[in-house]
Amino acid sequence: MKIRKLLFVTKFEDLCYDALNSLLALKTAALEHVVFLNVIERDKVAMQRGSGYLKEEEVKLKETANIRFIDWAENLFEMGMEVGAYIEVSTLIPEILKVVKKESPDLIVIGRSHKGALEQLYAGSDVIELIRRTDTPILVFKHMMDDNIVPEKLFERPLFATNWSKTGKKAVAYIKAMKNVIGEIHVMHVVKESALKSPDTHEVQKVRKAERQRLDKLCDELEEAGINARSHVYVGDPQKEIEKAAKEYQATMIILGSSDKAAILERWVGSVSKNIADKSVFPCFLIPGEKNIDQ
Amino acid sequence: MTKKVLVVDDDPDVRSFVVTVLEENQYMPLVAQDGVEGLEMIEKHKPDLVILDVLMPRGSGIRLYRKLKTNENLEKIPIIMFTGIALRSFLKSQRALDEFKGGEVPKPDIYLEKPVEPEELAAAIKKKLG
Repeated sequence: MKIRKLLFVTKFEDLCYDALNSLLALKTAALEHVVFLNVIERDKVAMQRGSGYLKEEEVKLKETANIRFIDWAENLFEMGMEVGAYIEVSTLIPEILKVVKKESPDLIVIGRSHKGALEQLYAGSDVIELIRRTDTPILVFKHMMDDNIVPEKLFERPLFATNWSKTGKKAVAYIKAMKNVIGEIHVMHVVKESALKSPDTHEVQKVRKAERQRLDKLCDELEEAGINARSHVYVGDPQKEIEKAAKEYQATMIILGSSDKAAILERWVGSVSKNIADKSVFPCFLIPGEKNIDQ
Repeated sequence: MTKKVLVVDDDPDVRSFVVTVLEENQYMPLVAQDGVEGLEMIEKHKPDLVILDVLMPRGSGIRLYRKLKTNENLEKIPIIMFTGIALRSFLKSQRALDEFKGGEVPKPDIYLEKPVEPEELAAAIKKKLG
């Protein structure tokens, strides 16, 4: 579960060198190889009436990307890291999947989708499309937001929201592999209001206590692995509560595992993860389940 | 006998440019598009010269250069580095890898920063191969 190689997908407007720089903390864990990918969307160079295929535009865009990548690569090479780069005219998600197949990265880093509301409604989000089609973990980087909340130390204080699924266990393995990078982790579980069947305070507290004990056990496991951990039980709508906890504890990122069960995959990916990945101001580390790949 | 020159570069335009220069100067060009393919071609064809890019997918020229210079069967193959990456960064990266992985690799004999004129490239090739 170590992150040795990461695929950094950039359109330059969303992810730049400072974002990459904040990921270099992973060097102290295991990171040794960064692969850059810039996808020039076909419609930017597509055939147009009167002018045909915009070959000159393609060359210009490729060279612009190449110059940026050379500059970034020089910095990484000087640190003794291995670097690769792809600049392709293609469609984003299929191209990412193609490069994932060739390079087998341990983590895909992608910026937040910039599709408009209407486009998202019909085409869906790139991030969600990617989660559905890969079993490689994804870091959705939030950067250049109005409040510029992305911290320099991305792994300093992550919030891990567990739903106790198998993928949650997989997430724990990733967290342990990042022990040299993580400062302190906040581990939380959100009890849905519907799970609190009884209006009786005692019963509600019993549910809270049980979840708290489960979380504490997980914190012990993480502390044994050398990571400071704190547990939190929240009650309510998972998306809102995770976001709330991230703010309260000044999380530097949110770590989420998606459900392993195909039947509820859509509900989980389609609600909590999707909304957090797309709308949260916090960077999100998403760990897809084993059975998420659409064939 | 015609000398074989392997061009390792991911950019098809650059490969085409180098191949043209090689053919015009009566060398036999071989091509590979990344570091992994490059190493396979070198082991298979034992070229007389390698023209090597740095920033490529599936294995950079920095690692390939190091692999060649630390392999006693391949270390004698002359290499022309032909890249957009600055020499300074190349040398720093090798120093970092020297510290990290141990050992020390020699500096490249010829380091050409892209772009170059065909005459400059041809002159560099002739210097190594005669």
